[in-house]
Amino acid sequence: MSGSGDGRLIGFHLGDAGAALPLGIVRQVTERPRVVRVPGTHAFVSGVALHDGVALPVYHLGRLAALWSDPDRAGAVRMDADRLIVCDWGETGIGLLGGRVDLVEGEDGTPDAGEEDERSGLSGAFVKRFLRVRGETIALLDTERLFASLGLPAAGPGGRRETGEDDPAGG
Amino acid sequence: MMKIGDGRYAVAADAVEQIVDPAVEGDLRLDEAGAVYHGERLDLVDLHAAAAERRGGSPVYLLLQGARRRALVAVDGAEAIREVPAEEIAPLPAFIFMRPERAFRGVFPDGPGLRLLLDQDALL
Repeated sequence: MSGSGDGRLIGFHLGDAGAALPLGIVRQVTERPRVVRVPGTHAFVSGVALHDGVALPVYHLGRLAALWSDPDRAGAVRMDADRLIVCDWGETGIGLLGGRVDLVEGEDGTPDAGEEDERSGLSGAFVKRFLRVRGETIALLDTERLFASLGLPAAGPGGRRETGEDDPAGG
Repeated sequence: MMKIGDGRYAVAADAVEQIVDPAVEGDLRLDEAGAVYHGERLDLVDLHAAAAERRGGSPVYLLLQGARRRALVAVDGAEAIREVPAEEIAPLPAFIFMRPERAFRGVFPDGPGLRLLLDQDALL
């Protein structure tokens, strides 16, 4: 289990990069579901899956150029993602594709300064802090910044809204 | 239910005024400005670009009534009419789209896969 005031974390991999999210926002981890591509969406939207009867946007973070310290790397991140991490953000549910999903346990400490970005490949702007777990550098992602970059509505009390609100489909 | 390239899509049947097959319809003329059907000038909407699908060889046209206009929409096949309960159609969240005007509004299960529902009112 991770300490340092972040609560429990769930770790996953985006290609070779290790990342983590607070477990508190994770509703479920499932096998990679059937996803239908939706034309006209952002490049980092892999498509939409049906989850409990709701259209769940599925994100491929490897395609979010700003997330990577070398934006050219974004398109080249090989995603062997076999899991979908279903997150709740305010009233909105989203799915993140990831591989090797597991609880973050046995934190070794903090990596040496200067080696974090290089080791993870992730831009420091999206990282709350780096940690070392079993010899690997893991980036604890800044969910506020990440989800805002994905276009999600704000999760704060004033920003909550239903998925599909303002939606001509009537959601 | 309709095909656009290799993709399978759907449109609300009550928005479809007519299915126009140019192979059997004599009074349809296509030009650079759109189409003239039974003497009426109509916009011609090609969903292949919006859906990032490749064009098939012999399209048929759906005469659709949207919120603002009528138009002919080119598709690669009108497959069937099917009753889909409203509760099976999950609305797509607006924030996943790059632009406010989008071509699709919902998704529903269809056999082993999923099928997208056209948003004719946003499109037309």
